[in-house]
Amino acid sequence: MLLELKHLRKDFGGLRAVDDVSLNVPEGAIIGLIGPNGSGKSTLINLIAGTIDLTAGQVIFAGEDISGLSADAVFHKGIARGYQEPTLYFKMTVLDNLLLPVKGQRGERPWYAPRWSTWQREERAHALAAMEVLRQVQLLPYYDTLASDLSGGQMKLLEIARALMGAPKLLLLDEPTAGVAPKLAYDIFRQIARLRDDHGITLLIVEHRLEILFDFVDYVYVMHLGNLLAGGSAAEISDHATVREVYFGD
Amino acid sequence: MINIDIGATAIAILTLFGIYSLMAISLNLEYGIAGVPNFGQALFVSIGAYTAGITYTRVLPLLAGLESVHPCGPTMGQALQLRSEIMAAQPLAGFINLGLTFLIAAIVSGAVGFAVSYVTLRLKEEWFLALVLLVGGETVRIVVRGADDFICSHNGISGVAQPFYFLRDPHSSSLLFMLLCLALALVAYVYSQRLAHSPYGRMLKGLRENEDVTRGLGKGISLARAQIMLIGSAIAAVGGVLFALNTGFVNTNDYVVNLTLDIWVMVVLGGIGNNRGALLGAALIAILDRFTQVGAIALNMSGSEIEFNYVRFIAFGLILLLMLRYRPTGLLPESRLTTNAHDVVRRAIGASNQPPTPSRHRDGGHPKHQGGGAMRET
Ligand SMILES: Nc1ncnc2c1ncn2[C@@H]1O[C@H](COP(=O)(O)OP(=O)(O)O)[C@@H](O)[C@H]1O
Ligand SMILES: [Mg+2]
Repeated sequence: MLLELKHLRKDFGGLRAVDDVSLNVPEGAIIGLIGPNGSGKSTLINLIAGTIDLTAGQVIFAGEDISGLSADAVFHKGIARGYQEPTLYFKMTVLDNLLLPVKGQRGERPWYAPRWSTWQREERAHALAAMEVLRQVQLLPYYDTLASDLSGGQMKLLEIARALMGAPKLLLLDEPTAGVAPKLAYDIFRQIARLRDDHGITLLIVEHRLEILFDFVDYVYVMHLGNLLAGGSAAEISDHATVREVYFGD
Repeated sequence: MINIDIGATAIAILTLFGIYSLMAISLNLEYGIAGVPNFGQALFVSIGAYTAGITYTRVLPLLAGLESVHPCGPTMGQALQLRSEIMAAQPLAGFINLGLTFLIAAIVSGAVGFAVSYVTLRLKEEWFLALVLLVGGETVRIVVRGADDFICSHNGISGVAQPFYFLRDPHSSSLLFMLLCLALALVAYVYSQRLAHSPYGRMLKGLRENEDVTRGLGKGISLARAQIMLIGSAIAAVGGVLFALNTGFVNTNDYVVNLTLDIWVMVVLGGIGNNRGALLGAALIAILDRFTQVGAIALNMSGSEIEFNYVRFIAFGLILLLMLRYRPTGLLPESRLTTNAHDVVRRAIGASNQPPTPSRHRDGGHPKHQGGGAMRET
């Protein structure tokens, strides 16, 4: 199991946003996480990524307990994430957005930074790698564009591409198609599926567009009011009586 | 009326420009590029000045093989005499002392900058650090002023010698000192340009724009910021050493919050995040400073009651307000130039059979898109 959550809990003051959630994400899988607004999906993503501190429970990643690690340490363990709202470096170019997360850059150490010759070769290799990623998500023509000048769909793709540059084993995506036109949403999911197929990246995806999500996932978890309500294949979840009741309102 | 010696005035302004440049570049690295609001610049400058105050009165005699004389109180005249003799007769001792002063000042100031910011940034956000530095700077100043033996408490310490004193010609020695200040400013400028346009600079700009995301992308942000505070504080202290050498004495009253404000005006005026802007801001303030000084003397001689310092405050306050209101990026906005990566990609695209890419000058203007329409929404 690549990721195991054990009795995860998060309280915001008196509000229990995530309540005793345990779930598993096997290596190489695409796992969906759905639930009505406010059911705690984003909070769960934040807990796994170390963006916020957990109240109780454990996060086990690749057999190692990573509960309580800071977000930068979690990233170095091999977990990258996207955000519900696009959170790019809007004042930087598309290319710089991709280069920033590359791990272990020599030129990021102040001692080497002013001595360009010590890191320019490395930077060149990173730039070429970034170029390939950009080509994949069809953003290469925009490498020199400010991220703020991209369209909504391109921003979502750039965020995914940026996360990829950290060479993650697990990618957490929070509504990767939020605010994107339906046709493009499907495109984005095809790109996401390729991450697993071509790069072996495991995915945990929060998504509202079930009709698209269900075409791509191996397994779906359903959250409701902070609890894990159900888990099953896309077909099982579509037919699940309680899920239909809380989620689709019928 | 006042006689203005053009040559001497030019030297004075250029000397001040070099010194201010170091301070402005320091703040530009810290705030302009890394987004750390250092409201304690005066503290780091003063560390340089205090260091000079101590080395020139305590270390210099030892370097010359003589016994030092207590520089405060009744023996002050004797100490000054001793200093002058050494500086005139043993220039080598003077230069070694100067090198030591720079070294100690940079190390102490850098260590303080690193330690204070690393500890506070791990606890709280950057505005808490700003407050700590603001209050800390003033506290240190008051403590130093109260300490009798350190730099002679409120009297200040005299005897910080101009390094080219041995020439015995005020004109050429101040000319050489000006060149020293300009040379150090140039070194700091080139260094900070190279730093800003490196992956480290990119990470700092990332931190400035979005701290949480940058942490989420694996960057140890407290360390990165503490490191830039180390670098910036060391540069500020070098500026402080030169400041003390230029005035010839060290008094705690020179290192109040006003100095911090002056440096902020330079950076906000010149261009936040642009090292060239820092230089421009330093130049403008150096010129303005000279004019206000001359103006103050003129006012004084004409028997006016107006305290010219207040006019200066008002002018600086106005500059800050107007800039923040009408031109928040400063006179020279930050450039987008980063590392060699963009050139690498441009060449790689040019070499392959890709359709032409949108090209444009990288330093400004908005890109014009062409091609790649498949992923664009309408
Ligand atoms: N930082 C926070 N402080 C307080 N309450 C929060 C915070 N983040 C989320 N919540 C609350 O936790 C609950 C779950 O929110 P969230 O995880 O964003 O839900 P979802 O992503 O499923 O829509 C909501 O009631 C929300 O208001
Ligand atoms: Mg959400």
